[in-house]
Amino acid sequence: MAAEAVLVARLRANDQAAFRELVRARHGRLLRLAGAFCRNRASAEEVVQETWLAVITGLHGFSGEAPLAAWINGILVNKAKTRAVRDGRMVNFSDLARQESEGDAFEPERFLPDGHWAEQHRPWDALTPEREAGDRELLAGVGEALDKLPPAQRAVVLLRDVEGLESPAICQALGISDANLRVLLHRARVKLRDAADRMVRG
Amino acid sequence: MLTCHQVAEEATEYMEGAGARTRRLRVWAHLRVCPNCREYLRQLSRTIGLARRALAPPPAAEVEDELAAIFAAHGKGAAE
Repeated sequence: MAAEAVLVARLRANDQAAFRELVRARHGRLLRLAGAFCRNRASAEEVVQETWLAVITGLHGFSGEAPLAAWINGILVNKAKTRAVRDGRMVNFSDLARQESEGDAFEPERFLPDGHWAEQHRPWDALTPEREAGDRELLAGVGEALDKLPPAQRAVVLLRDVEGLESPAICQALGISDANLRVLLHRARVKLRDAADRMVRG
Repeated sequence: MLTCHQVAEEATEYMEGAGARTRRLRVWAHLRVCPNCREYLRQLSRTIGLARRALAPPPAAEVEDELAAIFAAHGKGAAE
């Protein structure tokens, strides 16, 4: 948090290098998050641009109560929702949640008829703490796996696991129930775990 | 006894500490005796850590430059 206070002070002092640092750290993540709300890349890019403008003009009003990233994410989610309404194509996460919760979370062949796993999960011994923190290829691959999730699952896992929001805030932002949230989160995590499993071993 | 399939379906609910207490106890009882499900849940939980650290492509140089220019111009305007 101390490092963040320094960054915020530099930003308020119009330190350009600090702003570039922030853009480099957050832009890609914002674009990824916007992508879950917007129907195409161009409008996601515009939403991120609008978000940065709001950050620039709002920095002096930033209270510092929430972390900077959380404040910026909140702006992005609001901009994305406003934008969707303006475009007349509000993403209805409640409908998406229903669609994306249909069927089973697991392919039936992953379990034997008696309910046991058909596969033996081998430990991720190859995933050392060093790799977990610094294997850029692996971590970029996880990012790509995030981008491939269906939009409601993506929105939920990005807000919850990637950005660390609490469940009630996510339910409110997306207009979904707590039960919806857990089903979507589960499906997203199951898919990400499978992708990670392939990469950890590959 | 719950099956592995049931435990796998309820893994997130269990990990989030949600759901009825009796149900959570049944998942816990299964995990005690099933190393395969324990490993699966461990991997799900490590996946959350990987997701948190997932990398996103950096902004294009011209996007960064444009935003930096807006930031600089705004700072100047505010200072005047």
